[in-house]
Amino acid sequence: MLRKHNDCRNFVTVDVSKGICRRTGDLILIDTNTCEHFTELPKCKNCAAFAAGNEENIGICQAEKTEHWTYPELMAVTCAWYTHK
Amino acid sequence: MGKTATLAEILKEKGISLEQRYGGEPPADMVDREVKKEPTPRAKKLRDLYYQTLSSANMEFPYWYTRTYADNIHDVPIIRRAKALKAAYSHLTPMIFPGEKLVMGKTHYYRGSFPMPWLSESFYVAKEDELYQEAKQRGSTSADELVKWGQGGGNVVKSFGNVVSLAGKFGIRKEEVPALLRTARWWVGKSVEDEAAKYEAMVPGYPFKTALMRSVICMFESGFTLPQGREVTNYYYPLQYGLDGLIRMCEEKKAEVAGESGGDLVSGMDRLYFYEAAKLVLEGIQAWILNYAKEARRLVEVTEDPVQRKEYEEIAEVLEHIAHKPPETFRQALQMQYTIHIGVLNEDAISGLSPGRIGQVLYPYFEQDIEAGRITEEEVLELLECHRVKFTCIDVFASAGVVGGVLSGNTFNNLAVGGLTKDGRPASNRLEMLILEAGITCACPQPTLSVIYDEKLPEEFLLKAIECVKTGTGYPAWMNNRVAMDFILKQYGPEGMTVEEARAWSIGGCLETSPGSWKPLTLRGKTYWIPGGSGQPTSVGVHFLALPKILECVLFNGKDMRTGEQVFEPHNREIDSYETLVEIWKDYFEKAIDVLNKCNNIQHDIWRKNNMAVWHSILKPDCLERGKHIGNGGYRYNATFNVETCGTANFINSLAAIKKLVFEEKKYTLEQLKDAILNNFGFKTAEEVGSYSLLQQEKREGGQIYDDIHGDCLMAPKMGNDDPYVDEILAAYEEYVCEVPRRFLSLYGKPLYVCQISVSTHAPQGAATLATADGRLAGTTYADASMSPYPGTDVNGPYAVFNSATVWDHSNSQNSQLNMKVHPSAVRGLEGARKLLDLTRAYMRKGGFHIQYNIVDSRVLREAQQKPDEYRDLMVRVAGFTQYWVEIGKAIQDEVIARTEYERVG
Repeated sequence: MLRKHNDCRNFVTVDVSKGICRRTGDLILIDTNTCEHFTELPKCKNCAAFAAGNEENIGICQAEKTEHWTYPELMAVTCAWYTHK
Repeated sequence: MGKTATLAEILKEKGISLEQRYGGEPPADMVDREVKKEPTPRAKKLRDLYYQTLSSANMEFPYWYTRTYADNIHDVPIIRRAKALKAAYSHLTPMIFPGEKLVMGKTHYYRGSFPMPWLSESFYVAKEDELYQEAKQRGSTSADELVKWGQGGGNVVKSFGNVVSLAGKFGIRKEEVPALLRTARWWVGKSVEDEAAKYEAMVPGYPFKTALMRSVICMFESGFTLPQGREVTNYYYPLQYGLDGLIRMCEEKKAEVAGESGGDLVSGMDRLYFYEAAKLVLEGIQAWILNYAKEARRLVEVTEDPVQRKEYEEIAEVLEHIAHKPPETFRQALQMQYTIHIGVLNEDAISGLSPGRIGQVLYPYFEQDIEAGRITEEEVLELLECHRVKFTCIDVFASAGVVGGVLSGNTFNNLAVGGLTKDGRPASNRLEMLILEAGITCACPQPTLSVIYDEKLPEEFLLKAIECVKTGTGYPAWMNNRVAMDFILKQYGPEGMTVEEARAWSIGGCLETSPGSWKPLTLRGKTYWIPGGSGQPTSVGVHFLALPKILECVLFNGKDMRTGEQVFEPHNREIDSYETLVEIWKDYFEKAIDVLNKCNNIQHDIWRKNNMAVWHSILKPDCLERGKHIGNGGYRYNATFNVETCGTANFINSLAAIKKLVFEEKKYTLEQLKDAILNNFGFKTAEEVGSYSLLQQEKREGGQIYDDIHGDCLMAPKMGNDDPYVDEILAAYEEYVCEVPRRFLSLYGKPLYVCQISVSTHAPQGAATLATADGRLAGTTYADASMSPYPGTDVNGPYAVFNSATVWDHSNSQNSQLNMKVHPSAVRGLEGARKLLDLTRAYMRKGGFHIQYNIVDSRVLREAQQKPDEYRDLMVRVAGFTQYWVEIGKAIQDEVIARTEYERVG
């Protein structure tokens, strides 16, 4: 899967197109190549309870008894059910 | 004369003056603003980041809200909503930006917001295919298209790269668009908009109401767009009790009221559910704060720079404290104030949630910290600057018509200074001086500032406010304390308002007089009486009736000649006198209010049943005491719904022209005037010309046949010149318009009142209106505000404007609004500052409610229109708010440029 800057824990998301790298302090675009210091940010797509769905950018959250739809890019930093896959 | 001659050229050739300046010529060279200061390096860096930031939306809050709401289908409505809110607050990803001292945000974006499909989903579901297809097709990187960012400041006016534009303003990542659409689809048929529409259709005259909306005679519907706002929030309870204290209070109250009706016929039993809902939301807010604290602790661990690491430690300590306890220091209190504020803004789509008189609310912490040496004034100033940047980062997500057409992207977080204390002494203080100073050093739109002007306020304080005005930011605006108190006492007297409590009023939104109350805040054993908002929203009711457009319908037998739709029932009357004209206009005006009010009442009733404010109800007196949320009458003052008007000057001037030219002098028949109006006095439309300013309009080939009638209409008496002919018409209109809304009741059973501001609606409502009898041309922007003269028509100086504007009692209306554009050279130096203060005093002493100034050379604005990239930080006052020039639409830009420029004010 292509890694974007907003998949990285060191990235401070400023807006929909760019953010600040905490390591360098530079303003960088989300959709540019990441570096060797990439640290994965908890997102649904990285969770063990996440299953791909039939629709692009929509998946299934299997963390609870009742399944819910979710989307891969949803940040899971605050999610009690998040388990890295 | 060529066929593309502008009106300005035509008038010049004919020797007719429609000068857009008064008091001589400006200096030969373009003049910059006199007062310019720089913020502290920290605030500058944060503000610079803002300049580079796009308005961004995401789905985190809506996703968790909807997921939890759907899971709790069988719960009591307020519990269901509270659970959804708790889940949404608790799941917001914390994002702390380098250099911040005040933290937290609506979303993890710097300038973030999100859709609330539980209110309205139609404006993006309707575009579903288009959005989805666009998102699917976009796969390129954004780098190549970076150069487009400068246009429109932070507005994402069109899609690029992996970013999809929503409502012409917000960017959303294309990966999130399917989640947006899926969430929105879930709310189809359940949102306030959809649910209300089912019942609105049962209102007799509902098709008439929809025609009013299509014709843009009414600008928008508040029930599902901005159900709260233009009010003052209240920070007392969390400041006094802390969040743990409030949770304990809810638990105790639950035990007290469970199973008890309290003698109330209907809502007594609801108290239990309210307290349980309040507890749930308090827990959500607490979790949100603690998530930020946890993130700050994480950053302490991963940050090498010792200075930055220490700052993260301090942030964590502040947040860990305010998540549980009442604040004890100025910094804790300021952080708590901001957190409370954006917590409310995340609960509902709100524009104009004003912090109110926070210089007085936070003074106890300031006073004690300064005395104890815990903080210096320099440190307070830096925090206040950071506070300004954080407020400027607030966006409100709404449809293009609302966020663009009404708000110009503004959020109207109005901070008021001055006024009187509970016991009638001047309320200004040292912290308010620093708030004004921060407004100067860290110029940015939010919070916009207002002076509650009272004769008792000290000269030093007033001159500080004048210094701030001279930065050219358009703030502070000046509001008349005594006039507002008179209005407040009249409007809220039946609900128990007293003179003492009337002194606690403040400005909600642009300049909406909003009721308040006093509460005793105790800090280290000392008690301070602090003011805070205690009334319902005033952004609600019948919103923005286009007065000139209704007159147009009168002339054309109820038909909107722009669209060809029959809006009003045909009156089928011969308009053979001025009195008949006015009589039919009043009939149409009242019919419009009647049907719009009924439909609005239904919208807000659905809102209060399914989408009631919980967090905001916790904050506002007396919900916690009564156990009632806003919808059950928990707020102390409930008579806040209103009728808003737009286009006063063009309407009054048009009546004057018709009265004089058609009925008195009989120079033209009404049919001749109507023909001229239909043919736009021989000019092209504003849309064709691409300018919305009268003088820039171009003649159509053969249009000269209307020159005489157009010239006479332009030269007919105009408001703002101390001319009794037109001022008597204004006085009669005001007597009527201040009375007629009181015949209609809100859903809370309270009489409506009139609100006379325009925000930005004078542009779209002007665009929907044909030429008017005052000589204004089709599609051009109306005059702004309500007491502002039409640009270029006030030729007798500022005091003549004041005389015209005060021919009626402003305390009979929630407000009135007067904007003036003054050249910087006219108010230069201390002498100029005193002249500006004298001018302001003169208007206040005459009973004017509000005045505000653009201190700017119009040539700067013209140049900024041509070279927007060089003016990213230029701000102007529009009609009750300050906004970045590059983020406002051309129709409003043209209107601000066209306003009469005063070269002298003495």
